[in-house]
Amino acid sequence: MREQLNELVQQAEKDIQACSNQNDVMNVKAQYLGKKSLLNGLFARLRELPQEERPAFGNLINESRTKIENLIDAQAKKVKEAAWNSKAAGSNTDLSMPSIFSAKGGYHPLSIIRKEIDDVFISMGYEIAEGPDIEDDFHNFDALNTPANHPSRNLADTFYLVGGGLLRTQTSTVQIRVMESFAPPIRIASPGRCYRNDKPDPSHSPVFHQVEALVVDKGISLADLTNTLSQFASIMFGANVGTRIRPHFFPFTEPSAEMDISCVVCGGAGCRVCKHSGWLEMGGAGMVDPNVFKTVGIDPEIYTGFAFGLGIERIAMLKYNIPDMRILFENDLRMLRQFRGESR
Amino acid sequence: MKIALNWLAKYIDLPSSVDELDRLLTFAGIEVEGITPMPALPETVFSARILSAEPVPKSDHLHLCKVDIGSYSYPEKDENACVQIICGAPNCRSGLMVLIAMPGTALPEFTISKAKIRGVESHGMLCSEKELGISDNHGGIIELPSDTTIGVPANELYGLPDTVFELEITPNRPDLLGYIGIARDLSAKLNRPLRMPEVKLPEPVSTQLELPLKLINQNRDLCPRYTARLFSNVQIKESPLWLKSCLIKSGLRPINNLVDITNFVLLEQGHPLHAFDYSKLAPIANEQIPAIVIRTAENKEEFISLDSKSYLLDGDELVIADGEKPSALAGVMGGKISAISQQTTSIVLESAAFEPGSIRKTSYKHKISTDSSYRFERHLSEYTVEAASLRAAQLICELADATMCSTVHDDWQSPSVPIILGIRPKRYEQVIGYYMDGDKIMDFLGKLGLSFLQYGNWKPGQIASIEDVFCHHGEEMKRGVTEFTELPDCVHTLYFRVPPYRVDLEREIDLIEELARLDGYDAAPARKVQPSIMDRHAYRIKRQMTDYVVSRGCYETLNYSFTDAALMQKLGYNANDPEMKMITLRNPQSSAMSVMRTSLIPQLLINLAYNINHGEKNVKLFELGKTYLLDNAKHVELVQLSAVITGVDRDEHWQDKAVKLGLYHAKGLVEELLELLGISGCTVSAVNKPFLASGDGYSYIQNDREIAYFGKLSAPIAEAFGIDLIDLKQDVWLINLDADRIVELCRYINLKFKPIPRYPSVTRDLSFLIDDSVMYRDIRDGIMSLDSSIIGDVSVFDEYRGKQIPEGKRSLSIHIKFQDLEKTLTDERIDHLVESVITMLKETWQINMR
Ligand SMILES: [Zn+2]
Repeated sequence: MREQLNELVQQAEKDIQACSNQNDVMNVKAQYLGKKSLLNGLFARLRELPQEERPAFGNLINESRTKIENLIDAQAKKVKEAAWNSKAAGSNTDLSMPSIFSAKGGYHPLSIIRKEIDDVFISMGYEIAEGPDIEDDFHNFDALNTPANHPSRNLADTFYLVGGGLLRTQTSTVQIRVMESFAPPIRIASPGRCYRNDKPDPSHSPVFHQVEALVVDKGISLADLTNTLSQFASIMFGANVGTRIRPHFFPFTEPSAEMDISCVVCGGAGCRVCKHSGWLEMGGAGMVDPNVFKTVGIDPEIYTGFAFGLGIERIAMLKYNIPDMRILFENDLRMLRQFRGESR
Repeated sequence: MKIALNWLAKYIDLPSSVDELDRLLTFAGIEVEGITPMPALPETVFSARILSAEPVPKSDHLHLCKVDIGSYSYPEKDENACVQIICGAPNCRSGLMVLIAMPGTALPEFTISKAKIRGVESHGMLCSEKELGISDNHGGIIELPSDTTIGVPANELYGLPDTVFELEITPNRPDLLGYIGIARDLSAKLNRPLRMPEVKLPEPVSTQLELPLKLINQNRDLCPRYTARLFSNVQIKESPLWLKSCLIKSGLRPINNLVDITNFVLLEQGHPLHAFDYSKLAPIANEQIPAIVIRTAENKEEFISLDSKSYLLDGDELVIADGEKPSALAGVMGGKISAISQQTTSIVLESAAFEPGSIRKTSYKHKISTDSSYRFERHLSEYTVEAASLRAAQLICELADATMCSTVHDDWQSPSVPIILGIRPKRYEQVIGYYMDGDKIMDFLGKLGLSFLQYGNWKPGQIASIEDVFCHHGEEMKRGVTEFTELPDCVHTLYFRVPPYRVDLEREIDLIEELARLDGYDAAPARKVQPSIMDRHAYRIKRQMTDYVVSRGCYETLNYSFTDAALMQKLGYNANDPEMKMITLRNPQSSAMSVMRTSLIPQLLINLAYNINHGEKNVKLFELGKTYLLDNAKHVELVQLSAVITGVDRDEHWQDKAVKLGLYHAKGLVEELLELLGISGCTVSAVNKPFLASGDGYSYIQNDREIAYFGKLSAPIAEAFGIDLIDLKQDVWLINLDADRIVELCRYINLKFKPIPRYPSVTRDLSFLIDDSVMYRDIRDGIMSLDSSIIGDVSVFDEYRGKQIPEGKRSLSIHIKFQDLEKTLTDERIDHLVESVITMLKETWQINMR
């Protein structure tokens, strides 16, 4: 029996070493350690031995069993590691072949700028307010203190509709609508489409986009306007950008101003884009005219406010160096694809 | 901290309702954690005396008692006015005054009835505190003081009914850790007077009875004040019932009169005390006089606590020692050796102030937290030491028949200087939002124990002397002027001296907080909530819609709002269609820009043709924009989202092959977006648009209105827009979503979390042939409706037509997912369900499994 056991162990060693995959290992394990294994058979035959030899031989069988178990475990590990290694990338893989990208599309650059402006205003505590594109004379002109004979009311400047109404020439109309319905304090930014009877050319478009900000509260001053403007510009164009306002005229603000930012192309040194002035015109601004407040029923003795408007096309063209406004309305995929990464 | 209302009512008139008190405390900043009513007991529970108590034969714990119930009328009372009761309490013995509950008494947890125990009749029950709902002590029957009269109702003895409030005191308010503190806050909140207990001490005794004591304070940093009063002829005994019941209701166990008195004062005044057995105090080496030495422990010095535990000290702890060893861990716990015992006849009563940090360290290090350490580590004032000591002295003389020695030891080298603080009514208005006048400020702060000094000029911080803030207001006030006009250089300020127990009041802002709290935070004027100008929901949903189509590969286009009416005719619309009722410009630049658009589709098709002409094969474009409709001469602006897609689903890749865009891509764009927005329950019908091929698209209808559609561009229309579909070799798909209406549909949809299943799901597959006329949707709905609680999902994984499949039929293969939220599904149950699915399919559509 002792011989039988030795043979068994030797055979097991051979069989175990021959295992090349996990399946083989499982089979060998069943064969040598399972219920019906030869090793168990030897246990059953212990009775045939004389009483005094039984414990020693029993121990021997157990030792053999432990040895086989260890060998099987070691082989199982070896087989598994071999399998892992074989699954690692082969040496013939060309890592430089094109990767798989998602199918993500993108936003229009004007939407990208508008979204960015919205987010800046929202982060500064403003609400986004929108209004209709089709307006009436009251909201587009009268309420904004524009005299009846003002040139901007001409057919050459404003689109009028058959049967009455017009297409708004600026989003200031939303100011009026909000002030009609809501009491101060008011902090809004109103983005949207505007229309002017300009022929499309590199710097004009009959349809364009604007954002207008309006703040009405007790104690709002021109200083708040300049501070807000420089805060907005630093978020939008970077901390180093300078801002200034210059006296100007708009019917609905008093005092009125033009806003400039330091040229984002040359940094103020002067270049072709800024016509060598170092400054870029950003839009109109000013303190809300008391007449505008009276029209919407806000007491100008209690409340003051400022407003400023920005052209989205202008910002997009400056920021992305787009030379011609008409490109923005062609919807050419070769243009649109360039803004895939900006579509945040 | 547990506060019993009957006790609290001794110091202040309480509001009549418990709810009102709850509200008052809550809004004074004292959190009420629980309210436990202690209802009145029936009149059939009263005091009685055990005349005899004999062991019941064959029982190891039962006693047969004769209990004297005095004049109480009970039919089975014997000639000695006694009833017979079997009692199992370990402390049952003859002579004891007890509380008896007569048969018929309904107690909180059960009702007493006449009973036979071991064949002996028992007429009622002798009660424990727990059985009466007074406390959770179930250690034995109540032992009343032996001088109690028989027949006194339990309600009278225990002051019932009562209510116990469990209060959470914030760590900044140590002054609230006692009944008087709570009463003081309520007095300010309610504007009712506070009644302090009247302390009357007996006349000091003659010097013959003086007990000598040597008091040595070696660490005045950690113990700024230490007082000791001595008493002789002390009789240690039980406390009277009123005192016991006070402690019980506040959650403390009565021990003996002396310990109970110190606990009572701790609860009442919020200042812990300690009593030492005078005779156990060893003198200092080579001296005769018993000593108290306040010092830090020696390293490795042993301290044995009241409860016989041994602690090894490391030298940081402040101890109250006698001449030899520690008698107490200062402010934390007393020691065993000098503890009060039945044999004690003379005592030292300690009342002291300790440095809070040191107490906290000792308590933390040795893991001992006591009612005393809890209070000291929150910082108790040096000034409350005296009141607590006097109150205890009075009670010791009264309740322990003690004689007080005339010498009071008081080690207090450098009393802290009371703080003077100013408060500006204007500043209050600035911080809280409304003006509070000086009278009201004086009223509130006065009730809290602050003493008003004078009006003055504002000076920041704590001020040393009231002279520093002199201004004419003070002078005017002395002359009786009550209305003040402010001078330009003077800021109207009220100056108060802060009582020492309010260690938390250090700055003006602390006073402002107190005033706001007492006046109620709701006294601050509510501003009208500004209505929202922005429609945030609409804004976010529109962003979500465009973000989604961008994520699916579409590029955004922006087109002019005005267009050419001829384009709509090109799309196949007739003059009568609403889409042809367009708003016309009076002064257009050209006919191509002469009307306002009623659809985004024509311009998208122009964009498509433009890009195809520039060599693009895969074009996916969308626009989110306004369309302008004429509704009975009214202008309506409606935001739409339209998209056109053609080509393959993504860029060509050498390994991962792109899939041609088809019906299910277009359908997916609409349906996934609706699903993401939570819009379900649309009905669908075949799309019907003049520019779409019939039969290859759906209209999605909700409340009789089309909210979306998709379909395949018909070849003639494509050609009209300059797109040759034959040349292109691919279909063009259009989708349209009515953005404004979709925004409204999901405005009030709220996602609700569903619990994650705790049991595994099981999936079974079925394959079968169906007629082309049978819709998959109907099959899916049919299966789901069989048992919606178990059938979690049905999905297709294969459709096949062709060889071996008869004409007009197809083969469908589906997964059915079973999920039970309550338990693991058995094979048997699933087999049964699958069987019912098969039967249903067969009966409804004559479908046979493959
Ligand atoms: Zn420049």
